[in-house]
Amino acid sequence: MPKQEIDAEDLFNLSLSIVGLVLKDGPMLSKDLAEHFGFSEKTIVRAVKTIANSEDIGRHETHFYVDEDLLEKGEVDFSAGMAALRRPPILSKRQTTALAAGLDFLAALPQFVGNTALSEIRSQIGSGTTPITALAPPERQATLQIIQRALLEKTQLVASYVNQLGEKSERIIDPLRVDFVGRRHYLRGWCNSNQAVRSFRLDRITNVENTDKPISQAAQRADIPLEVFGQLENEITVEIQATQEASEIFWNFPAFDIQRDAEGNIIGKIQVGNLRALGRHVSRYAGQVRVLSPSSAVATVRQFALNAISGPSAPEDQD
Amino acid sequence: MSASVNKQSPAERLFTLTCCLMAAPVIGLSKNDIFGSVASYAEQASDTAKEKMFDRDKSALREMGVQLEVFDSTSFEETDAARYRIAKGSFDWPTSFEITNEHMRLLELAARAWNNQLLSKSAQSGLIRLRSLGVVASSRELSAFTPRLLAQQESFAPLADAISSGKLVRFSYRKTDGVSSVREVTPLKLRFIEGQWVLLAKQADQIKNFLLRRIVSQVKTSELDGKPVSVAEIDQAEAELIRFVANNVAVLEVEMDGEAWWHFGGNDSGTIEVNFMDEALFAEDLMEFGPEIKVLSPESLSNRINVGWQQVLDTHA
Repeated sequence: MPKQEIDAEDLFNLSLSIVGLVLKDGPMLSKDLAEHFGFSEKTIVRAVKTIANSEDIGRHETHFYVDEDLLEKGEVDFSAGMAALRRPPILSKRQTTALAAGLDFLAALPQFVGNTALSEIRSQIGSGTTPITALAPPERQATLQIIQRALLEKTQLVASYVNQLGEKSERIIDPLRVDFVGRRHYLRGWCNSNQAVRSFRLDRITNVENTDKPISQAAQRADIPLEVFGQLENEITVEIQATQEASEIFWNFPAFDIQRDAEGNIIGKIQVGNLRALGRHVSRYAGQVRVLSPSSAVATVRQFALNAISGPSAPEDQD
Repeated sequence: MSASVNKQSPAERLFTLTCCLMAAPVIGLSKNDIFGSVASYAEQASDTAKEKMFDRDKSALREMGVQLEVFDSTSFEETDAARYRIAKGSFDWPTSFEITNEHMRLLELAARAWNNQLLSKSAQSGLIRLRSLGVVASSRELSAFTPRLLAQQESFAPLADAISSGKLVRFSYRKTDGVSSVREVTPLKLRFIEGQWVLLAKQADQIKNFLLRRIVSQVKTSELDGKPVSVAEIDQAEAELIRFVANNVAVLEVEMDGEAWWHFGGNDSGTIEVNFMDEALFAEDLMEFGPEIKVLSPESLSNRINVGWQQVLDTHA
């Protein structure tokens, strides 16, 4: 989507980049430049005028000669006057950090395992060629491929799904998008059983097949909420306390009333769909997250830990 | 030809300043040369106003990756002795630097992963610069995939800024044994590994990795410049981390057909081998699966998890 507004630094950056492209490839239509750089034609014209208006007033020298008649007709052409500028500066450290981190992230995803182009570009933009660890096993690539094909063909999937309580079900899903958020893949799709958009964690899909049937009209009209945890029904509010290191737990739930205590711990409330799933989310932090209330939530976490130590049939201790 | 009849916009001022500095002789320009060349400076009513505007522009240029150098030359009168020029290399893309359509698609996806968060603007402006290297078509295959990075740690922004400005920073870092200490480091790189942000930084004479999660104070940026670090040193540190991870292998017994089995991509043998970067973080990932996983090795990981369960019980008594 072309952006309508641009700040001074981005306009400066765009002007430098247009100089590089036009001096390299020759005259271009402003509408093609708009398409290429992802801005509106109006913004492209502003950037070209920035180039045109560059003048050393002390020496009475113009840096670039822009053909303004052609610009009126939608064509961008200029030649370098006194300018030594031929291309934009190399990437700044911040730009490199941003792109390299994004590429690191992609390299850890199973669908990019063995992607030569990704290794090549990572060796150019500073993160080395080898992903340090994979965020998911390569087997998930097969699941992803089936989903990607269904997304492109707009066809329905039938999936075996295990929810966070371990309950298994068969779902007919109209796939809408695949998100990778934080460290997990989610299939965002129209669930035909619930008649609503739902998020399905890919590592909980145990089998998936493309039915080759077209997706429903309801799915085509559906909006996909930004947050993967979506709308909860019958949610329970749980008060928790987390150390600074474990504060990321608040990012995984709708959270509110967040405060910091004198020791730097974070206290706040989260909303959970089902208490039974809380045990795993809290336990992973090995005591760095503590449930304060309600007592039923405290007991759930305790039971999860007891099960883990002694197996699911372990009775609660009598102390 | 165009004359600057109207007042210059801030973007025009930055662009003109860059062009004037690029066209400067080897000996650079004095501040007076610059003030006499760029219309916006010339139009300022006072010297103080000119200086302020120039200071702001110098920082803006540096942030955008235009490295401005200042040096003294005795060949000029005192008022003109401080000389400004653009550092060699600021505009020199490596000759081997080539970007194909496929590379560009991956970079677009990498930038999109920022999803309007912290570094989204920098990623986008970097993409614009890279697009000046050639024309590319947009992708169909990746369009239905939306990767989204999370960079919600408070320390992220000041560290990214310090990497840009090359300044020293100071923060409190708490290791997994609970002991925290103040670290003064030169931040070099932020990387996303195993779903966690990792800072590569030089502390004293060593390059180390710091998990952003374990930074437990505000990051304070010093006025002092960081220690110079060569690309070779960074490459070596990164190669060491890769070797370290390759040697960190856990053997797990996983309940067949359970959630953990699907998560880790289990096989018929019921045991799997997984590489990990940080034992404590890996222990967290395993504990989420409760009784479904048993650690066969290393013993330290198994012990850590057992202690972890006891801590959960102690805090939920």
